[in-house]
Amino acid sequence: MSDAAIIIVMSTITTGIMLGVIFSLVAVGVTIVYGSIWMPNAANGQFFLLASLLAWSASVSWGLHPAVAALLVIGASVPFSYLLEILLVRRFYDVPNRNVSYFVLTLGITQILAGIFSVTYGVWSDQFQLPPIVPGVTLFGPFPIANNRLASMGIATILLAALFALLRFHRYGRALRAVFQNREAAALRGVDVRAIYRMSFILGNGVIFAGGVLFACAYSVDLTVAWTMAVTAFAIMIIGGPGSVLGALVIGMVFGFTQAIVSIFASPTIAAFSYLGAMLVILLFRPSGLFAR
Amino acid sequence: MGTSMFRHAALAATGVAAIFAATAARGQDPVKIGFITELTGPWSFTGASCVAGLKLAEAQLNPPGKRRIEFVLMDNQTQPAQAVAAARNLDIQSKVLALSGPTSSDTALAIYGYAEQNKLPFLVPVAAFPQLTKPGTRFTFRIEPDAAGWGYAIAKFVEKQKPGAKVALLYSDYALMRAIAAGLKWQAAKSNIKIEPEIVFPQGTSDATVQAAQVRAANPDYVVWVGAGGFDVSVTNQLLDIGIKPEQIIHPYGFTTMIRGWGKRSVGSYYGTFFDANLENLTDEGKKFVEDFTKQNDRMPSYAENYCYLTSQIFREVLDRNPEAADNREKFRDALSALNWKEPTSGVPITFDKNGARKEYMYFMQITDVGAKEYKAKQSFYIEWDPEVLPVYDLVK
Repeated sequence: MSDAAIIIVMSTITTGIMLGVIFSLVAVGVTIVYGSIWMPNAANGQFFLLASLLAWSASVSWGLHPAVAALLVIGASVPFSYLLEILLVRRFYDVPNRNVSYFVLTLGITQILAGIFSVTYGVWSDQFQLPPIVPGVTLFGPFPIANNRLASMGIATILLAALFALLRFHRYGRALRAVFQNREAAALRGVDVRAIYRMSFILGNGVIFAGGVLFACAYSVDLTVAWTMAVTAFAIMIIGGPGSVLGALVIGMVFGFTQAIVSIFASPTIAAFSYLGAMLVILLFRPSGLFAR
Repeated sequence: MGTSMFRHAALAATGVAAIFAATAARGQDPVKIGFITELTGPWSFTGASCVAGLKLAEAQLNPPGKRRIEFVLMDNQTQPAQAVAAARNLDIQSKVLALSGPTSSDTALAIYGYAEQNKLPFLVPVAAFPQLTKPGTRFTFRIEPDAAGWGYAIAKFVEKQKPGAKVALLYSDYALMRAIAAGLKWQAAKSNIKIEPEIVFPQGTSDATVQAAQVRAANPDYVVWVGAGGFDVSVTNQLLDIGIKPEQIIHPYGFTTMIRGWGKRSVGSYYGTFFDANLENLTDEGKKFVEDFTKQNDRMPSYAENYCYLTSQIFREVLDRNPEAADNREKFRDALSALNWKEPTSGVPITFDKNGARKEYMYFMQITDVGAKEYKAKQSFYIEWDPEVLPVYDLVK
């Protein structure tokens, strides 16, 4: 195999993994919240962007090491989500058809955050880039890859594995899955459903924040990324099956690799809408998603 | 004694005339110019930068004795419909003499339609889409050269750097970028430049690792990357990561924030511009503009800020030479059309052709250092051309 061919194959694999883990993180965050409290969080893209921008402020404006900034921002998602839950989210827990109310509510949050970003960050710069967590480049044969991107990829993979383990083996994870499947039955078995709602909202947003921070470590960010990520996360959740964490994980990775492979054999333009086209085709045959129970 | 008396009388007469003129100027209503720009929405950075440039010029815009010029600032939210609504409001309610302000081709095109239909002079500071000065345009004038011309200039630059060069062309799928690519491809065919590969990124793309690998595999002499925002910096980094040398990368334009984003590792790469703080031929006013802007905004100005600074001065210049145009849109349009002046900051001539397009020019700068706030660059190439040297309006519909 020639060096040129190796470079292209390696770049396709690393792009697939990189995009896949980020997509999966955000989609898992969205699906955890939807699966437990039936909230289609339209503001997920803005939360993702908020995390990226806060990490930028903490590292570039305040001078913190990007790793410290990243941890700080992911940590800050907990009080942020808790406050939102107390002030807004819990008021709709008993509302019939609350998913519609939640959708409208999160659209409102999207508009407010977009407006705030537009008159603050939007005026300061047209792009935001975090200093590298790990500088330098590593060579895999003839293929060079930035260490920073490798680090982001590694951390995102560990986070996904930890999340999967939490949901599979931890008491909270089992309770959460019980609520996903049948709220009433879970309550009868002694699960505090409202506490699970609250925890899910905090965990889901935490995962989205982690996705935003890792994305900002690997790529430069601008304000348009919120919309792209929101659409992608919803598409993954719908194909994977709303409420299916495994579906979000698998389909997120499939989306990442689809983008990478289609963009090399066809074009980036076709790659961008190929997965949305795939979504429509899949929904024709499996309207409730591939991994729906 | 006689001479002294005459001198006193002359001084007194001059003083009276000056006071009269000043009183008359004060007595007249100010000339209102509608400035519709992007203060919110995705283009808010360029809109805010433009206003920063305008405000610097505004401070010295109204010396005593001259009819006052007032800019009525409105936000178009980076939305064409909002831009038209603002234009209508400024036309009917505020009765402005002319419009200006947009920094996005989309909003500028929306205002263009309103301005041409309602015979309202419209001076566009920063928007490069060619159709803003298409044949038959009467009331719209554009300060920034058209985007297809930038592509033409890039091809000329490459031709001078390496005759018969092979160029990889990457661009995001926006109207502006498509126009630059169209101009480059048109001239490349004539300059014996081979374009391979040509890669278009749809809006919303975030990763270009695979495409950077394709570029590397093609082994081009130069890579022309036409992008904006966060993706512009990501692609630049990915090209450098994969082993493309900075000296091979040509950016069609470089705002200060972009150059800072490209960072130190981009030292050696090229960018096109129409004004740069590092140019050696800046006038004293140009140097002061750079100094004042940097002091106020914590970054150096780029060509967009210069064009907005220049916009207010063009209004002043035209009205000073044609005071009767201050209350008559048709006369103001004619006066603007006849303008033959030089940019006070750089000395580059400003004249408009019959369609309101400017005689075009472009600098290519090579980055020599990038700091936290400032960057250094040296001029590598300068080119001027007539906007009709290439079939701009056929290339870009």
